[in-house]
Amino acid sequence: MMNGNGGTLNRKMLFIFGPVTGVVMFAAVIWMASQLMNREYKEPYRAPASAADATPREAGVNAERAAAETKAKATPYAEVEYRAFPVVGSRVAIWAVAELHLLFAAFVLAVPIFAFIIEVIGYKTGDMRYDRLAYEFTKLLSTSFSLTATFGAALTFMLIILYPKFTNYLMSVFSPTFLPYILLFFFEAFFLYTYYYGWGKFHPLVHLGLGLGLNLVGTGIMMIANAWVTFMTSPAGISDQGAVLSVWDAIYNYTWMPINIHRFIANIAFGGSVAGAYAAFKFLQAETDEERAHYDWMGYIGNFVAISAFLPLPFAGYYLAKEIYAFSQTLGLTMMGGAFSWLFIVQAVLIGNLFLAANYYLWLGMGRVEGRQPLQRFIKYLLAGVTICFMVWATPRSIIATVSELRAMGGSTHPILGYFGVMSAKNTAVNILILTTFMSFLLYRRTGKIAAVTWAKKGHAAQLLIFAAAAIIVVSLGVYGYFVEATVRIGLSVPQVSSVLFAMVSITAIDIFLFRGANKTGEVQWGKMPAVSQYVLIFIAVTFTWLMGLMGYIRSGLRQHWHVYGVIRDTSVDAFTPTIGFATRVVSVTVLLFFLLIGFVFWLTSLHDKPDFERQTNKPRLRHGSGEVPPELAGETGRA
Amino acid sequence: MTIPHPLRVAALVFVATGFYTYVGQMVPQKEVLPPQETVIAANLTTDEMVKVGQEIMNGKGLCFTCHTLGKTEGPFRFPDLSGVDTRAKMRKPGYSDVDYFAETIYEPNAFIVPGFNPGMPVINKPPIGLTDQEILCVIAYLQTLGGTPTVTLQTSTKYYTPAGAAPPGAPGAGPAPAAASGAGAAPTAPPAAGAPATAPGGTPAAAPPKAAPGTTPAAAQAAPAKGTR
Repeated sequence: MMNGNGGTLNRKMLFIFGPVTGVVMFAAVIWMASQLMNREYKEPYRAPASAADATPREAGVNAERAAAETKAKATPYAEVEYRAFPVVGSRVAIWAVAELHLLFAAFVLAVPIFAFIIEVIGYKTGDMRYDRLAYEFTKLLSTSFSLTATFGAALTFMLIILYPKFTNYLMSVFSPTFLPYILLFFFEAFFLYTYYYGWGKFHPLVHLGLGLGLNLVGTGIMMIANAWVTFMTSPAGISDQGAVLSVWDAIYNYTWMPINIHRFIANIAFGGSVAGAYAAFKFLQAETDEERAHYDWMGYIGNFVAISAFLPLPFAGYYLAKEIYAFSQTLGLTMMGGAFSWLFIVQAVLIGNLFLAANYYLWLGMGRVEGRQPLQRFIKYLLAGVTICFMVWATPRSIIATVSELRAMGGSTHPILGYFGVMSAKNTAVNILILTTFMSFLLYRRTGKIAAVTWAKKGHAAQLLIFAAAAIIVVSLGVYGYFVEATVRIGLSVPQVSSVLFAMVSITAIDIFLFRGANKTGEVQWGKMPAVSQYVLIFIAVTFTWLMGLMGYIRSGLRQHWHVYGVIRDTSVDAFTPTIGFATRVVSVTVLLFFLLIGFVFWLTSLHDKPDFERQTNKPRLRHGSGEVPPELAGETGRA
Repeated sequence: MTIPHPLRVAALVFVATGFYTYVGQMVPQKEVLPPQETVIAANLTTDEMVKVGQEIMNGKGLCFTCHTLGKTEGPFRFPDLSGVDTRAKMRKPGYSDVDYFAETIYEPNAFIVPGFNPGMPVINKPPIGLTDQEILCVIAYLQTLGGTPTVTLQTSTKYYTPAGAAPPGAPGAGPAPAAASGAGAAPTAPPAAGAPATAPGGTPAAAPPKAAPGTTPAAAQAAPAKGTR
């Protein structure tokens, strides 16, 4: 069967196998029919109706049937409040679909943002590598957009089916927003497909205009959907009885703008990480050095986008938390001090991993540059800083312990570790983490370069001074927070954050001028990265995805037994807050489903680069749409 | 044997997801159920009201989400409630402890304890939505923290007058506010008719008005119905 005739033999076998199977199936159907006929229900013999006497029972049965029919006809329509989804229940079903929809939507909204920016860089510099890179990112969008729409439709229908009364209420509040949403969605499809299929077909400025339109429309769609979601958490613009007073106030509720900002930044971070994972996947499968170099560069850009957006994300998170507290202290305290507080320990583990992985990738990246790199000696100090901050951030305020351990500690708070479990310590840790990661990036950026400007020494000193000043401010305010009242302590996070932001902006500004015309000590060799670096990129994408799922749960679960907080109460069987363990299992299943689907997107996208199918392997293989013409047709078309 | 990269990638995704799931199982696991409805009989004694009040404060009222009891060392986000009745009698001139407690619950922004930020919600409206009878029980319990409980289900406050009872300050309304704490409310009025607690979701809450975009902490404090005591 393995020789050259194997194929022919197989075809013969198939030829025989088909009719034989048909005969067997026909015989099986006859047999099943005869069996069923034998077991068919047969009425017992009864005397003809005319001969039988009417019995009181028969009259009673008829009367009962008629009464039931009359009652059924008179039943008024009643609105169903809830319907049950089989096996997993309505909440988990909606949860999973909503999360998948959001993950794909985040990806579809994020990729055009950095694809557009990269395309602009390519246009300005005239470097076609950027154009190719932007196109490579955009190739991921087409299928993802379809999946986003599919999950969006599934979510809408499931809400109508499973939560009809609540959905009806939301529709009554936000009815003026739905048609604009649909219109924007149509424009989104128009811009996305024209942007993708029109690559290289229009004047670059026209194409950039399409990209800009795509991003504006995408952001508009996100903001409308955010209004619906945030209204559920912090309702506004309605009367005591829930009637709509002002649609604009309902849209512009307490958490709308913070969520807009937070999601916009988080989407970029998430999209960058998934695009980086795609590049890593392609790098691992690359067969040539050229491919490896390209995908290494693409992975680096994806990761750069992800981490650049990730660094300011905690600040957007502060803003969101502040507005949640401003809307309702109870809601804020439920989030940070109540049922959800332990989720932030899980979050700390995730973010700590992200920082560690991002730094590790940058340190590995230093190896791309030829020759020995003296800056690599600082890595161990950075690693120590990242690790200590990670440990502080992941330290809970209360320790899970046995009764005897609790007695020994004098409570659930550890006498020493307890000091690291409060916000003063955590704020300090996260700010130092951000500074350290920023430092890693700076070291990577200047690997293989020596500043050549006359003021190089002063520039380095100024950068060091700003960095040290920011670190001292952050740590000092963190320590000071232990000795002041809550009213003062809450306000300390603002100068901490401001000093870190100032340091990042000012040091970057100095660095740009400092390394202008720098002397090179070694060339960057794209593609000269160990395989482990690509797995790090994939790990970052998984962690970002999981983090998005977890934070989505916190945002939504915060309402506890309310559909719309304080207005529409959840009276379904799911009106309770599940354990964190259960929530994390749902998040994990959804993340796995997402990666299964995004793997499909990657595979589908990679088909674009594969040669067309050919019946005979001895002919040269051509790629569809490449403009290449088979030799036998070359004469007819006049092209070769 | 070399494991193909796609399989390695799949394994990495599984292991990373599994690790985070494992971390999620390591933290305390607690299912939070919706608050139970408390049925208050019309003929509750003050002692029984204290027990009901304590139960409400621990559960439906969510009081101990923010307040502490017996915490001696800071930091305090909200006032500790140990000995609160003693302080309540002296907080505002002319106010009895019952008046003060009622105001803190129905109108929490009317007075903010120095050193603290506003933050307490209006307790008789959703999402907490205690009934007037439940609030009287809570006041009875609060009186035990440093004092002696005196309220009954017939005690009138500025915000609530039980059926058949005279409003506070009216002739024959029973003890004046200042005396209410010491002598208790007049038990001569007929018991309130049943008055079981209504579902907190039954009365939609007034949404706090949105302050200016990007509300500053100061502005947030000034906005009505957002703060607390």
